[in-house]
Amino acid sequence: MSVPPDITFVVLTTVTLLAAIMALQAKELIYGAISLAISFIGIAGFFVSLDAPYLAMLQIAVYVGAVVVLILFTIMLVRREEADKDETGETGQSAAGLWLAGLLAVSIAGIAALAGPNLPATPPPGNLPVSQLGPVLAGAYPVPLVILALLLSGALLGALVLAKVDK
Amino acid sequence: MPSLVSYIIVSAALLGIGIYGLSVKRNAIRILFAVELIVNAANLNFVAFARYMNPPNVTGQVIVFYSIAAAAMEAAVGLALILVAFRLNSTIDVRKLNKLKG
Repeated sequence: MSVPPDITFVVLTTVTLLAAIMALQAKELIYGAISLAISFIGIAGFFVSLDAPYLAMLQIAVYVGAVVVLILFTIMLVRREEADKDETGETGQSAAGLWLAGLLAVSIAGIAALAGPNLPATPPPGNLPVSQLGPVLAGAYPVPLVILALLLSGALLGALVLAKVDK
Repeated sequence: MPSLVSYIIVSAALLGIGIYGLSVKRNAIRILFAVELIVNAANLNFVAFARYMNPPNVTGQVIVFYSIAAAAMEAAVGLALILVAFRLNSTIDVRKLNKLKG
């Protein structure tokens, strides 16, 4: 017996958004990083619910496995009191940021809700097997794939050069 | 199964949280968190639209594949820059990193 999809959606939404807020508001930066990892896992759950299990796996491997671990190492390398020193600006600025973000999110959500009747309420039948991903990735877009590979190695070398300590 | 609009609303909320962090926070690592949240909001939209197209289209997932790789290298370079900034200025408060201010 499986869980009804609507309950899954509500739980995933709650976990993802609460963890995202915690990532920004947690007192200690290291807890913020762990909250960020939880939020990424929530997004991976959304990917599973949208028939994209391969992307969910990639999301967990790359975001939770690499990006968050990299962030944790950086937090440890930066002196503790410096990393935790917070941070939020003056109250007026904080309120302005809240207004900006709220207005933006509400207007996008409002537009989506207005367009709602024209958008599909249920996903069309059929699914997206992982085997479709490969031909499109390497067949339809081979040049971006190669550029991405070069860019990735270039960025990693650049990061290495930047972080190197000159003796 | 929830409608496409509910996915868009979740994505908009995630974007709002990210924009808030980007505009208010002063700690460079925290700002990087906010950027990652915004990228994730975009990815969620791509995957949702790809699934709800008729017939379902895999191209949205391919774009997210590229986006995840790009976000990984953005994080690597960003964290290296933060380390360098900390080494040179012994602070990662972005309001204090203002040597280029005229």
